[in-house]
Amino acid sequence: MSLLKYESQIREPLIDGNKDYHQVTEDICRPIEMPATKAWKIGFAVSVALLLFGVLSVTMEVIYGIGKWNLNKTIGWGWDITNFVWWIGIGHAGTLISAILLLFRQGWRTGVNRAAEAMTIFAVMCAGQFPIFHMGRVWDAFFVMPYPNTRGSLWVNFNSPLLWDVFAISTYFTVSLLFWYSGLLPDLATIRDRAKKKWRKAMYGVLSFGWTGSTKHWQRHESLSLVLAGLSTPLVLSVHTIVSFDFATSVVPGWHTTIFPPYFVAGAIFSGFAMVQTLMVVTRKTLGLQDYVTIGHIEAMNKVIVLTGSIVGCAYLTELFIAWYGQNKYEWFAFKENRVNLFSPYGWSYWLMMACNVISPQIFWFRKMRRNITVTFFMSVIVNIGMWFERFVIIVTSVYRDYLPSSWGYYYSPSIWEAGFYLGTFGLFFTLYFLFVKYFPVIAIAEIKAILKTTGENYKAKMGGTDRLGVDQFAQETAHH
Amino acid sequence: MSKKKYWKSFGEQQQSEAYKKLAQDEFKEDLPFEDFDSKGLLDAKSPRRDFLKYLGFSTAAAALAASCKQPIKKAIPYAVKPDNMIAGVADYYATTYVNNGEVVPVVAKVRDGRPIKIEGNTLCSFTGGGTSARVQASVLDLYDMSRLRYPVEHHNNDYTQVPTFEQLDSKIGAEMTAAGGQVVLLTGTINSETTKAAIDAFVKAKAARHVQYDGISYSGMLQANEATYGKKNIPVYRFDNAKVIVSLGADFLGTWVAPIEHAVQYAAGRRVSDQTKEMSKHYQFESFLSMTGANADERYTHKPSQTGAVALALHAAVTGGTGPSVTDKKLSAGIAKAAADLKANAGKAVVVSGSNDVNVQIVVNAINSAINANGTTIDWAQTNNCIQGDDLAMKQLVDEMNGGKIGTLLIHGVNPGYTYFDKKAFADGIKKVPCSISFSEKKDETASLCKYIIPDHHYLESWGDASPRTNYTSFIQPAIHPLFKTRNWQTSLLKWSGTNIDYAEYFKNYWIQKLGGQDAFDKTLQNGVIEPAAATAAGATFNGARLTDATAKIGAAKTSEYEIALYQKVGIGDGRYANNPWLQELPDPVTKATWDNYAMVGAKTAEKLDINYKGINYEYHPEKPVFTVKTASGKAVELPVLVIPGCAEGVIAIALGYGRSADAGVAADGAGKDVYPFTSFDGNTVQYSAAGSITKKGGSYKVAQNQVHNYYEDRFEVLKERTLAEAKEHPKAIIEEREHEYAPYGGLANFRKQATIYPDHAEGRGIHWGMSVDLNSCIGCGACVVACNAENNVPIVGKKEVTRGHDMHWIRIDRYFSSRNPQDIDDKNDPDDVDVVFNPTMCQHCDNAPCENVCPVAATNHSSEGMNQMTYNRCIGTRYCANNCPFKVRRFNWADYTGADAFPNNQDAASGLAAVVTEQMNDELTRMVLNPDVTVRSRGVIEKCSFCVQRLQEGKLNAKKESRELTDGDVKVACAQACPTHAIVFGNANDPKSAIAKLRKDEQTERMHYMLEMLHVLPNVNYLVKIRNKDHIAGLVKEEEHGEQKTETKKEATH
Repeated sequence: MSLLKYESQIREPLIDGNKDYHQVTEDICRPIEMPATKAWKIGFAVSVALLLFGVLSVTMEVIYGIGKWNLNKTIGWGWDITNFVWWIGIGHAGTLISAILLLFRQGWRTGVNRAAEAMTIFAVMCAGQFPIFHMGRVWDAFFVMPYPNTRGSLWVNFNSPLLWDVFAISTYFTVSLLFWYSGLLPDLATIRDRAKKKWRKAMYGVLSFGWTGSTKHWQRHESLSLVLAGLSTPLVLSVHTIVSFDFATSVVPGWHTTIFPPYFVAGAIFSGFAMVQTLMVVTRKTLGLQDYVTIGHIEAMNKVIVLTGSIVGCAYLTELFIAWYGQNKYEWFAFKENRVNLFSPYGWSYWLMMACNVISPQIFWFRKMRRNITVTFFMSVIVNIGMWFERFVIIVTSVYRDYLPSSWGYYYSPSIWEAGFYLGTFGLFFTLYFLFVKYFPVIAIAEIKAILKTTGENYKAKMGGTDRLGVDQFAQETAHH
Repeated sequence: MSKKKYWKSFGEQQQSEAYKKLAQDEFKEDLPFEDFDSKGLLDAKSPRRDFLKYLGFSTAAAALAASCKQPIKKAIPYAVKPDNMIAGVADYYATTYVNNGEVVPVVAKVRDGRPIKIEGNTLCSFTGGGTSARVQASVLDLYDMSRLRYPVEHHNNDYTQVPTFEQLDSKIGAEMTAAGGQVVLLTGTINSETTKAAIDAFVKAKAARHVQYDGISYSGMLQANEATYGKKNIPVYRFDNAKVIVSLGADFLGTWVAPIEHAVQYAAGRRVSDQTKEMSKHYQFESFLSMTGANADERYTHKPSQTGAVALALHAAVTGGTGPSVTDKKLSAGIAKAAADLKANAGKAVVVSGSNDVNVQIVVNAINSAINANGTTIDWAQTNNCIQGDDLAMKQLVDEMNGGKIGTLLIHGVNPGYTYFDKKAFADGIKKVPCSISFSEKKDETASLCKYIIPDHHYLESWGDASPRTNYTSFIQPAIHPLFKTRNWQTSLLKWSGTNIDYAEYFKNYWIQKLGGQDAFDKTLQNGVIEPAAATAAGATFNGARLTDATAKIGAAKTSEYEIALYQKVGIGDGRYANNPWLQELPDPVTKATWDNYAMVGAKTAEKLDINYKGINYEYHPEKPVFTVKTASGKAVELPVLVIPGCAEGVIAIALGYGRSADAGVAADGAGKDVYPFTSFDGNTVQYSAAGSITKKGGSYKVAQNQVHNYYEDRFEVLKERTLAEAKEHPKAIIEEREHEYAPYGGLANFRKQATIYPDHAEGRGIHWGMSVDLNSCIGCGACVVACNAENNVPIVGKKEVTRGHDMHWIRIDRYFSSRNPQDIDDKNDPDDVDVVFNPTMCQHCDNAPCENVCPVAATNHSSEGMNQMTYNRCIGTRYCANNCPFKVRRFNWADYTGADAFPNNQDAASGLAAVVTEQMNDELTRMVLNPDVTVRSRGVIEKCSFCVQRLQEGKLNAKKESRELTDGDVKVACAQACPTHAIVFGNANDPKSAIAKLRKDEQTERMHYMLEMLHVLPNVNYLVKIRNKDHIAGLVKEEEHGEQKTETKKEATH
């Protein structure tokens, strides 16, 4: 890997403080090795409580029927699929950071990639609940699997975008999990080696798959990472493209829009980065990892947010323009009356989406704002609210008044069980995230070490005289020990 | 052979006494067959159902103990099969539906001993096999849980069973003698010959009096006809002969007199095709928007108190005299226009009025006489026997009851305790009658006031006959053994009058004698009807003696700011069928509301009442503001206000028939408010309108509508309407429009193939099912909706679920006002100036169906016969198909509405989903109505119109068994069969001889189009454009003013 890498002095260091390899290990392993803090315990308890409420909500729905939700004959999908797309979108940042930024050799990714990948996996797990439990007969969910059977033989419908979702999401989850876990191996081995208790040693020993740190292991590990990065890269684009096909291939005005694939991908990265910000701003503070997730990291991610937010904004305006320019009166009605018209039943949700996703991120054109932790945290939440409403606007405001005015439905708002399901996935997400920060290194120790000597603050300070050094000496100074 | 004796025991060898006794008494107890004799099947000591229950229970227990599978209920096949019954093959029995006096010859479909469906009897000339929602729903009443199961005696709020009919007869005999006083038999309209004979026998034996009373009175008409024609009868109307129909508030297609035959005639007079472009012109003057008014070409509104003035003005305009001046400009112009048309079409026109005011009816008779309607559009050669009730006689009876003059009162078929204008007087009166007997099937408001209730059979359990018209007879024959211990009420009369004969016997003897033998009787029984020889229509001489008096009396009517108009809904009617969930959930044709009555007001009234009906909150939420409606006499009721444009300003229209007592049954309980107290007696007849007031009460009440948006927003791709003049002048306009639209694909002919890159799988020989819906013929009555419910086991979900948009109907009648959306109406336009169009919508069975390709598990797919089919047991319930259906016809089973779910106990109250009505519909008794040919869907699956695939399969198999090709008559879908106006045509579109193929190729090419055709979903259901016989279509006037150009560009712009 980056054995020899020169980084300009003007660039901000990615690791602050006077760190050496041992200090890095110490810093990152500390939260894992110390007893759980009170804050962690409270947070974990709240998450589990939410999760249990989610379990109750889903149980009610499974026993009594989807009628427990407020969907109706006109609005067949509401919060369920909105939440699904939202969670799936969130997952995308992790994959982008771990795969595309790896291929692009963005050093700053090492500070956030582990947590972002974990977020991806948890988000996909949350997302997966919705298409499963939105089924009227969830006990027959296995029908969507194309397996050899004695029913005739009866196969799935390969024309259905919902089936493509099944493949897209299962592939996505599998690859993301493998990528994340293979990256974890060296770090788990580090924790194992540092463990003092027997059970801890055993547990991490099993988890680290017998990693010894031999050159052969490292070589295979690096190759595997590259292969998985290569596999993940198209997934960043394909998964949300396929999710967007659920809508784009339909006949519903407002869904049937060719711009959806790129627009959905941009939106996914947008919301994903916002979620990474939400998590990292809190995590770095509570775990004392400000030196590894620096203000520079946060700024970099805010740049991605303002970029993708603007792409999304462009997409909103483009689809609006095309709806008018295309002169399809049903599509134009869906945009003009169902969305843009503030005084229509759901007009407020369109403008809330616009305000959150297009207008508010423009604040990040200012460097001062990009580097302000409070603003960043606040904005990251705003963006995810906006992105949730984007999906809500697309799904609900299109179907509630489509072709036949006779079928325009009653006003839809969720029932307690519908909202409870959503809250439950928050419970699931944060339960997993709390377990993750307690038992796994939040930052990739091995990868941080790989960039320490090129971008660590103390090393950078010493870099001044590099040009005076001979090649051999430079190699000696900056190579891995 | 040796004479060796083989033995099993010493007792047997020695033939001991003990052994002999034992051998003789091996089966000591008798088999429990005799239980069946006197009682109903369900009341026997150990009936078959109990046996099945125990068997089912033990099987279930064993199954539960063995595994956690669903309990399996087993049915036992016949040990000895009756010869005339093949399991799984339906039998059909001709019988007759009788609702008070309304008579509809029908055929009952019986499967494995259970009547499950009612069809019209096509041998009947005046209904032509047509039915109504109520006829279709009547089979469910047979299985009504609230039916009384045995005769009871009532004392001190305690009902005790009278064990046998013998005891009952002797008890009542004694009581009647002890009571003394006059014996009175109070019934609804009786037009059955044998019943009349039985009544005569009873009247003679007991010196009794027979009083006929109708819940909804038509006494005004009867009295007027007596005064002007000397006949206290209602003639037979012939709307098919009329070129001009003027209705003064008569809902003749929905509820007035004999709606089915009127609908049949009306549609016949308005059928437009490529070849014939003539149709009658229908004027409606009314105070609120009725279903009939919704079908009218021209509608004018006025207050109920102005009804007489309008009739007089019309009379004056027709005869050239002077009438009262009508101040409303639009109304007076309408009267002049209608009068001119009536005069121009004298002899080919008819005027009818829904008023129950004798004076108004006298004026109407005068108009009809002036335009020579008698003998052409009004046939006096035959009388319509369905209405004979007399308000005066009823009033007199109640007075006598209160005066203590009545000793015995027998009540059959009417419910004055609920429908009488002065309920208190009736209830007080009946308390003073020593012996009161009700023959009601249920413990209704009247029956619970009586001392004895001797439940009558349901019509599907009884013998009988009915005579809807002069010399016309329709037989009633049972389709099932009485379910309960009930008795024909005529049997009671016969027995009490000393003739110890069962009515069934009496009926048979009577008709065998009259028809001249058993064979003739059997033949009639098979056909169901005896049609009289065709007679020419006869007129009647009009006697105008009372006209001056009537004119003077009408002149005295005063109008007030707010007036209340009471009406009947096509489903619930006078309230008799309030406990029928099919009818309760049938949306009102005009308001689309279910399960309730409400105060219906027009847009202008709503503005006066300060109701923001244009706001999104009014439309998109079921909560409607509650107002207190009060009559001038001080009676008040609190009702939600529903704004329906098209009602006259200041008119509050409220439906009768709601607010039944809890005894009427669980579906009726809590549905709406009773407004019979608002009716009043004017000295002659009962009046159904009143001066009143309305004040805001505050709060809101949920009204369950299954359509909330009323306007079609100029979506011409959804439906099209034209005036008759346009259709004549430019007949090919629709075709040209479509040609133009699809020009980019090579025109209409190539659109199917050219608009897609995929091969057309639907192409080919064999069968291709197709349906056509004529928007001109559809009157919106809802017979098809209930027929579909019955045929396809469509779940009933209850009011709460309807308010949540969870209604399940497979076919719905979309009702649009073809006018501007209120938001778009400028000051110049009248928001109450609306035309109405009914658009029956069911699965369109698209050949390029958007629902099919999105289902991940291929649960919905296309048949080789062009049907979009639903595979319930493959469906996992993603609802993607429902979202992607442009017609929104797919229905999802949101909860366990049918009890077919794998999860037990999920219909309890805690679910918040299952209504009481779900319990009712899933009761063992009610479930007997289910069609065994159609799967009962479980929770979590999508369902929708299947084109009655079970009927198509049956038709195909029958043709196959007979080794012949399928012909057009072999299959009928339930909606088309039920439709009285033949608005729905169904058949094999690939068969050039079929009606559907002929219609599409020759008869209706000019009016045919497909809904949302531009989506290229290729529906197999086509629609025929609505043609209006008027100058302008409301709301579309603007475009026409700007010339055709603008409409054209507008349509072009849509693609």
